Amino acid sequence: MSKSYYELTYIINPVLEDDQYEEIVGKFTNIIKDNDGEIDEVDEWGIRKFEYEMDGKTNGYYVNAYFHAPGDLIEKLERAMRIDDNIMRYLTLKYDAKMLRHRELQKKNAVPNIFAFEDEDEQNDEDED
Amino acid sequence: MIKNPSHPKKGHIKTRECKFSKAGTEYIDYKDTEVLQRFMNDQGRILPRRVTGTSAKYQRQLSRAIKRARFLGMIPYVADNLR
Repeated sequence: MSKSYYELTYIINPVLEDDQYEEIVGKFTNIIKDNDGEIDEVDEWGIRKFEYEMDGKTNGYYVNAYFHAPGDLIEKLERAMRIDDNIMRYLTLKYDAKMLRHRELQKKNAVPNIFAFEDEDEQNDEDED
Repeated sequence: MIKNPSHPKKGHIKTRECKFSKAGTEYIDYKDTEVLQRFMNDQGRILPRRVTGTSAKYQRQLSRAIKRARFLGMIPYVADNLR
């Protein structure tokens, strides 16, 4: 079965103990591995403050993962995420060619800087409509 | 932009360029909240194309990235600037 590259970000309930985070991250990492997936990178951002209140909470434990996997894994993974009460939000993205190229640049730390050619006359912009 | 030669704004309005096309971006990542916030006002609304000069292609990507970041609580839906 053909595999695609995916990115997964999820937020774990912040009221847990440190070893419980590890357990949850391990659980989902194992789901990926057990279903023919190959982990590329798992990045735990740790506790981060939300910009707005989410389910009565102001911060959450963020985990960002990249992996190769067959399509039917995503269904299983998302189902497990929905069942787990400690997962507040999750977002899975399938990478297309452009996103993959962007990811390669990201790995090399060579993402083009959008503000490299910043105009000096920024202030003048404000008086137009 | 303005064809009428006697229009008062003629020569006053300058054409803006799309920052993403200029930099050669291919994908706008929802995790780059600093970049995304440059295209939002202080209330947290997405700035229109006519203000930022972003091309249609990148404006679509940008709005998608902003909405993803909002969903994950990295950017506010509405910022309360009642201070």
